Amino acid sequence: MECYHLAQKAVPDLLEHLKKIAPVYAPHQKGEKSYSFERVTHASEVVLDYNRTMLSLKKFFLPPTERLLQYSIQKQNVVEEEIKPEKRIFFGVHSYDMQAVLRLDHNMIEGHPEPNYILRRQDAIFIGISFEPDDYHFSRSVGIRVEEMEGFDLFLNKVDTNYYLFILNKEGSDLLKGFQKLKAVKDIVRFERNFKNKLKYHYNRIPEVFQHVYHSEVWQKVAERCVGCGTCNLMCPTCYCFDVMDDVALDVKSGERRRQWDGCMLTPFAEVAGGENFRDKYEQRTRHRVYRKFKYITDQEGVPWCVGCGRCTAFCPAGISLTDIVNNLIQDYENQQYAKTGVVA
Amino acid sequence: MKHLHDITLPAERGLYLPTMCKIVEAKELTKLEKWYRVELPGGQDLGHTPGQFVEVSVLGVGEAPISVSSSPTRQGSFELCIRKVGMLTSVLRTLDTGDTIGIRGPFGHGFNVNEFRGKDVLIVGGGIGIVPLRSLIHYILDRRAEFGRLIILYGTKSPAELLYREELAEWTARDDVEFHVTVDHGNADWTGNVGVITTLIPALQLDLPNTIAAVTGPPVMYKFVLMALKSKRLPDEQVFVSLERRMKCGVGKCGHCQINGKYCCQDGPVFRYTDIKPLEEAL
Ligand SMILES: Cc1cc2nc3c(=O)[nH]c(=O)nc-3n(C[C@H](O)[C@H](O)[C@H](O)COP(=O)(O)OP(=O)(O)OC[C@H]3O[C@@H](n4cnc5c(N)ncnc54)[C@H](O)[C@@H]3O)c2cc1C
Ligand code: SF4
Ligand code: SF4
Ligand code: FES
Repeated sequence: MECYHLAQKAVPDLLEHLKKIAPVYAPHQKGEKSYSFERVTHASEVVLDYNRTMLSLKKFFLPPTERLLQYSIQKQNVVEEEIKPEKRIFFGVHSYDMQAVLRLDHNMIEGHPEPNYILRRQDAIFIGISFEPDDYHFSRSVGIRVEEMEGFDLFLNKVDTNYYLFILNKEGSDLLKGFQKLKAVKDIVRFERNFKNKLKYHYNRIPEVFQHVYHSEVWQKVAERCVGCGTCNLMCPTCYCFDVMDDVALDVKSGERRRQWDGCMLTPFAEVAGGENFRDKYEQRTRHRVYRKFKYITDQEGVPWCVGCGRCTAFCPAGISLTDIVNNLIQDYENQQYAKTGVVA
Repeated sequence: MKHLHDITLPAERGLYLPTMCKIVEAKELTKLEKWYRVELPGGQDLGHTPGQFVEVSVLGVGEAPISVSSSPTRQGSFELCIRKVGMLTSVLRTLDTGDTIGIRGPFGHGFNVNEFRGKDVLIVGGGIGIVPLRSLIHYILDRRAEFGRLIILYGTKSPAELLYREELAEWTARDDVEFHVTVDHGNADWTGNVGVITTLIPALQLDLPNTIAAVTGPPVMYKFVLMALKSKRLPDEQVFVSLERRMKCGVGKCGHCQINGKYCCQDGPVFRYTDIKPLEEAL
């Protein structure tokens, strides 16, 4: 693995260099403490030290709303929305968000490959960057280090005011052709970051915990505070559920079929004709969301489907913390285990 | 985990594109249910197995999962039976011979007919649950010699809701079909059984090791039918159920149909009872 020194003040030059190759998307400041991946027009507007963007990269590959079909009602003919693969560079991506893309890839490829996602995703280039964990990040607990480079083409690891730039594959090294401001380094500094927010168990043990806590009181307690807004679903980089709807033009002659992000936390999500709702209680919906992140897919794929970005907690209007939920479940599990052995915790 | 390099690019399109099809025959069966015979362009085969479903589209209105109610043994066209419950299904009610609907699919896992072959088959259908089962019934009737006894239990709320009346009469008349029908509430003209569908089960004489059951009905029905079958000592592995969930895509992407960790549209809608018994959300 090749590694170069890049001075912080040379980063805008790198961005300008990349912009000549393909459109570059990078974090921009939105509100006081809110960030968003946006197309770069001026390199100086890019924020490299950010905690998390509100929406993850999924918005580029699975847009919040998109047209699937266009049709003529009169002629009863229907065509698919055209989607052209597009080379785009995503710059300044944190490792958990890269890992989330890899998980989404799995969900979208498995079974029936999802063409719209794949077409938008296939030519993407990812340039990672390290970050300082805040009170909400816990990606380390789900097996993702700050410096995890899987999936990236280039990765920038910040040390003081310099970056170590790692070239991870041919695409990455091609990007740097003609860029002069790099100094080769031999002595790569390893750099471990500390996370304040943690899960109590190694992630390998968590599916075992979930085997025993389906009926835990924790769900009920969370449900008492949850307002069922679905923000946690929308913000989660590995949530991808959607709803489908038809919109008819005013002249009633033509229309389109669209899909739009949906969330399992919303009341009608699992409702069917006849009024039956298979998850009509908040506690059932919260449990489903959390089991999707730590148990159902994890049992099959071996890794947590939560990447520890902290978004669902940071943006929850009710202040519900996912790490608290999981840690309380672990506590519950331990109490059950102690009870079995007769030892009082 | 699957990666992008596991598939050939560009990905094949058409996942959400319906094929526009003609309704070649339509008939109102009851106040709520309407029956349709549908042809794919060029009389192409749908290629389904009994128990699978299609996504039915009306352009400008929407799309819904609907069971194929005809058997693949009868080719050239396929049949649907749709109950009016909401927006799309109300518009469908107004469509007739010559009208166009969109079809995607068939999707999901149906009944594994190979496992039924050579066995006595017990069919238990409640209400509109008879619709997907009819595909299996026709399959068996068309290859009658390949199967053992065919026992059909069918129940509705009242006589007015019975579907496929002419066929019911034919099943009653045939001596190679044991057909029992019941209604929750009879009326003046009704001379048959009155009572919920489970009341038909105790009197059955079953060759237990050689019987396979297929059960479909409204959500409330399953628990009671499965209990009744249990008291008959029919092993759980020999029971199949078809489950309904909200479905938006039919192809394992939209997430609506999840039953704990399973996808009703992919792993089902037909499940072996023992496969879903451990799932808390299934029944
Ligand atoms: C595998 C499967 C097979 C089915 N087979 C048949 C069949 O053969 N005949 C038949 O009449 N019906 C069948 N259904 C049910 C049918 O899909 C719904 O009745 C239909 O989607 C309702 O659409 P709507 O627009 O008329 O109702 P809406 O106006 O959307 O809503 C009416 C009610 O239907 C519920 N609903 C909405 N969308 C769905 C959905 N996608 N799936 C289930 N419920 C929904 C709503 O929550 C609401 O309570 C089947 C369902 C499944 C899952
Ligand atoms: S964001 Fe918070 S309040 Fe909203 S649905 Fe999720 S857990 Fe409930
Ligand atoms: S569950 Fe919460 S912390 Fe985990 S990936 Fe989703 S939004 Fe991030
Ligand atoms: S119907 Fe969309 S995932 Fe099953």
